[in-house]
Amino acid sequence: MTAPLRFEEAQGELERIVRELETGGADLDRAIELWQRGEELVRFLREKLDGAEGQIEKLADAIGPDPSHSAP
Amino acid sequence: MKVEAIDYGERKVYTVTSFNRGVASWLTRLPSVWVEGEVTELRRQERWQSVFLTLKDPVDGACLGVSMARGRFDGLRLDLADGERIHILGRPELFEARGDFRLRALTIERVGLGQHLAALEQRKQRLAAEGLFAEQRKRPLPRLPRRIGLVTGNDAAAKRDVISSITARFPPARIVLAETYVQGPLAARSIADALQRLGTLSELDVIVVARGGGSFEDLLPFSDEALVRAIASSPVPVVTAVGHEQDTPLCDLAADVRASTPSVAGRLVVPDLAELNAALERIRGALRRGAERALERDRQRVSMLHDRVRRAPRLLVERRRAQLERTAGRLRALSPRATLERGYAIVRTEDGVVRSSSSLASGAHVDVELAKGGFGARVAETRP
Repeated sequence: MTAPLRFEEAQGELERIVRELETGGADLDRAIELWQRGEELVRFLREKLDGAEGQIEKLADAIGPDPSHSAP
Repeated sequence: MKVEAIDYGERKVYTVTSFNRGVASWLTRLPSVWVEGEVTELRRQERWQSVFLTLKDPVDGACLGVSMARGRFDGLRLDLADGERIHILGRPELFEARGDFRLRALTIERVGLGQHLAALEQRKQRLAAEGLFAEQRKRPLPRLPRRIGLVTGNDAAAKRDVISSITARFPPARIVLAETYVQGPLAARSIADALQRLGTLSELDVIVVARGGGSFEDLLPFSDEALVRAIASSPVPVVTAVGHEQDTPLCDLAADVRASTPSVAGRLVVPDLAELNAALERIRGALRRGAERALERDRQRVSMLHDRVRRAPRLLVERRRAQLERTAGRLRALSPRATLERGYAIVRTEDGVVRSSSSLASGAHVDVELAKGGFGARVAETRP
């Protein structure tokens, strides 16, 4: 797949695919194609989110616990 | 009495004795009069026939010698002291042996209290009319004088009282002491001089004039006109504490503040250092609490922002994920696979998906895709 660089672009494309499928305008071949692309995008976006989450946790660990919460 | 002159031709010349005798004899024609003045230099000796004193004009210091028969003087039992004001009834007299002019006293009276009071009252009215005692002339005392002038007697209890009450309240006070006479003929002048001297000192912000209790005569110098004027014209405020509570010498009226006692005067001219420090401490406390409150407020604000900053990325990810899952759900519902699950099948030939029987011929090979797996088939017949 030609990976979109940005999350928002992938998300936008996925939305467009779903909308096109919902309106039922596409013929079967096109629908299958769109669906496969959609699945790809979903996987890609999930990976992106997982990656972002991991990064956030890593950063939070590096910064350490919030002193204003640990203070009495 | 006959005065003989020696004849030198044209010139008549008198001997010293005849001159003195002549003048003395002439003076006897003058009447007896009352003369007022202050007693100074009283000289009395048992072996002398006369008592001598000098009568001094308190205003300009003019002097007049006085003699009085010792027996007569002793008979009056006056017990005069220097500086006392007296009235003398006497005749002018020339002491022939020395050519000394003097007043021969017939009687002496001490100037009575009543007369003093009347004179004082008159002076008071006059100075009041001049506005010397006016309320609007009074100046406020400095809160924190840099230096304090103290005019008082050299061994007076008043001095000790003022100094101890000043230093008790305000230990670092700087006192410039001017010791003066505080009674007798020299007192008024020396106090006025001290006031003037202190008035010229730099950083001197207030003057205290203090004297303990005393007799009416003792306190008279403090009603002296020159002293009253010196107080009124002092460049810095003057606090007086003279005599007891009930005494009101004129200097009290001219002073900016009148204190009932020397100790009170001391307390008036300095602030209480302990109180001052306590007030400062209170202000410091308020300042610190204010700063702490502001700090705490900012700390909380930062902490809240911190929380939000920390939560924001996770929230964003979660929101995106929820959104993504919703879209993914919709995608799955729409997938051809889901359609096949419902029992539909896709028929394809080499040309693609078959939508019409017209594109098929009997015996043609087709590929059929099902939800699970698929199979090849041949077309048995076609229907329009």
